[in-house]
Amino acid sequence: MDSILQKEYTVVQDDYVNAGKVSSDIKTTLAEIGISPKILRKIAVASYESEINLIIHAYGGKVYLDVSDDGYISLVFKDPGPGIPDLEKALTPGWSTASEKARGMGFGAGMGLPNIQRVSDEFDIESSPQGTTLKLGFRAAV
Amino acid sequence: MRKSVVHYTLERCIRCMKCVKACPTSALSMSDDRVIIDQKRCINCGRCIMACHNRGILAQGSTLDDIENYDYTICLVPGALISHCASLDEAEDLFHAIRLLGFDEVVDITQYTALHLKEISLLAEENEGDPYIASFCPVIARLIQNSHKSLLDALLPVKCCSEIAAKDIRKKYAHVKNLGIFNLCECESKLELAKYPYGNPQFEVDHALALTDIFPLIRKNMHKGKDPVSFCKEGLQVCNPHRIVRQDGFLIADGFDKVCTVLDMAEFGLLNEFRLLILYPCFNGCIGGHMLWGNSFLATNNIDALTVKNTKPAADLPFDELYTDEYGKDDDDKRSFMERTRFFKAVNDEFERLPGYDCSACGMQTCRIMAEEIVKGNRTEDDCRVMKTLKETAQ
Repeated sequence: MDSILQKEYTVVQDDYVNAGKVSSDIKTTLAEIGISPKILRKIAVASYESEINLIIHAYGGKVYLDVSDDGYISLVFKDPGPGIPDLEKALTPGWSTASEKARGMGFGAGMGLPNIQRVSDEFDIESSPQGTTLKLGFRAAV
Repeated sequence: MRKSVVHYTLERCIRCMKCVKACPTSALSMSDDRVIIDQKRCINCGRCIMACHNRGILAQGSTLDDIENYDYTICLVPGALISHCASLDEAEDLFHAIRLLGFDEVVDITQYTALHLKEISLLAEENEGDPYIASFCPVIARLIQNSHKSLLDALLPVKCCSEIAAKDIRKKYAHVKNLGIFNLCECESKLELAKYPYGNPQFEVDHALALTDIFPLIRKNMHKGKDPVSFCKEGLQVCNPHRIVRQDGFLIADGFDKVCTVLDMAEFGLLNEFRLLILYPCFNGCIGGHMLWGNSFLATNNIDALTVKNTKPAADLPFDELYTDEYGKDDDDKRSFMERTRFFKAVNDEFERLPGYDCSACGMQTCRIMAEEIVKGNRTEDDCRVMKTLKETAQ
């Protein structure tokens, strides 16, 4: 299993205007290389939610896309903090710490992480005050 | 693969690149001093036609001469055209004028449009998952196939209204030998929904007529008499986003850019509280069709005047006659996943080397398209004027 395509993106904290641009590019990229619509849909949902998390909760962060020759797609969202104090609660549907500003813009309904977990084939999250790393994996038939 | 309905006339072209710049799907490019239309990318939205000031880009339909080939002919009139009549009187006049062109009968399709809406509303009511997408407009279907593939499953497999109408009429007129069904189209995209002139044998409509060609002839026939008309209110309302019968959970949007935003949001799973998306790429819906001459705001108000009295109910057809399995079958990319990825990577690397101004001086709409062309071997980096100038200045 070899990596055949890598892409790296930067997400800026509180940059609501550009929210979704990274996910859009990920979606277009994977559509170009012929990933099936069903899997594309799951990845679009997961990457958008995760990107928004970096904007509204974290101090921005980095997104890494990696496609392997066997059709495994990995998405890694890395941020430099402030970390998720209670991971178990964050993974509970409806639980949210989003600011008023974010909620006013339609974000932060408390379905972010649970939704991401639901659509991902593989889901791994590690968090400390120094930062959170979210690793998602999807298997596309090729 | 379906053909694009957009035609280019070299003699009228002044190489201003307006059409190339206007294309939302980068289907147009300039090569050897002429415009090339990528049949696969084109979604028949008609933006290039509107951008061209010289009538160098047009969409043409069949001619009225084709009437001669049939023993009995019926012309279908869309609600969008009817809405441009200020009163029932004017509509009666219009129907008479159209019949004088040589048709045996003129039929409005509003009752079939209403049936289409009824059917998709029922489907939406039962929808508990991601929102469905209405299939009134062929541009939406093409747009989804081209750049929003993950929504293919959401696109309702219900036939376009003119098709439903033609199918029913053909059944009713089974006793008539050599029946010809013509559809008067209010926009470019509907020209492809017929056997001729674009060669799509799967359709029940025989000929698509472009209103831009036919309108001058209709005008000459006006004020010569009246044919009785009656419309289906719900059907006539479908052609406008502000009048269409709205239910809970419907999201209705018009205008090309807004429609694209809605499709993006749907892909990200942000519209899950909705059950049906009704999207009109044209501003003010089909009433704003590019081939219509009137003001779409006035026409919107006309709908009310035309349906005060003398209305008829929606058509009633078995539901299985309304379905098509045509959507989503256009992907004829035979390259493997590895080949596609390798190509994509090569394009990406090439794109990094290009200046990224999207100046179109090379004839391509964007540097991204230029990068694709270079990787395909159709162009070289020397065709990029910016890079060439930079190289020359360095020497």
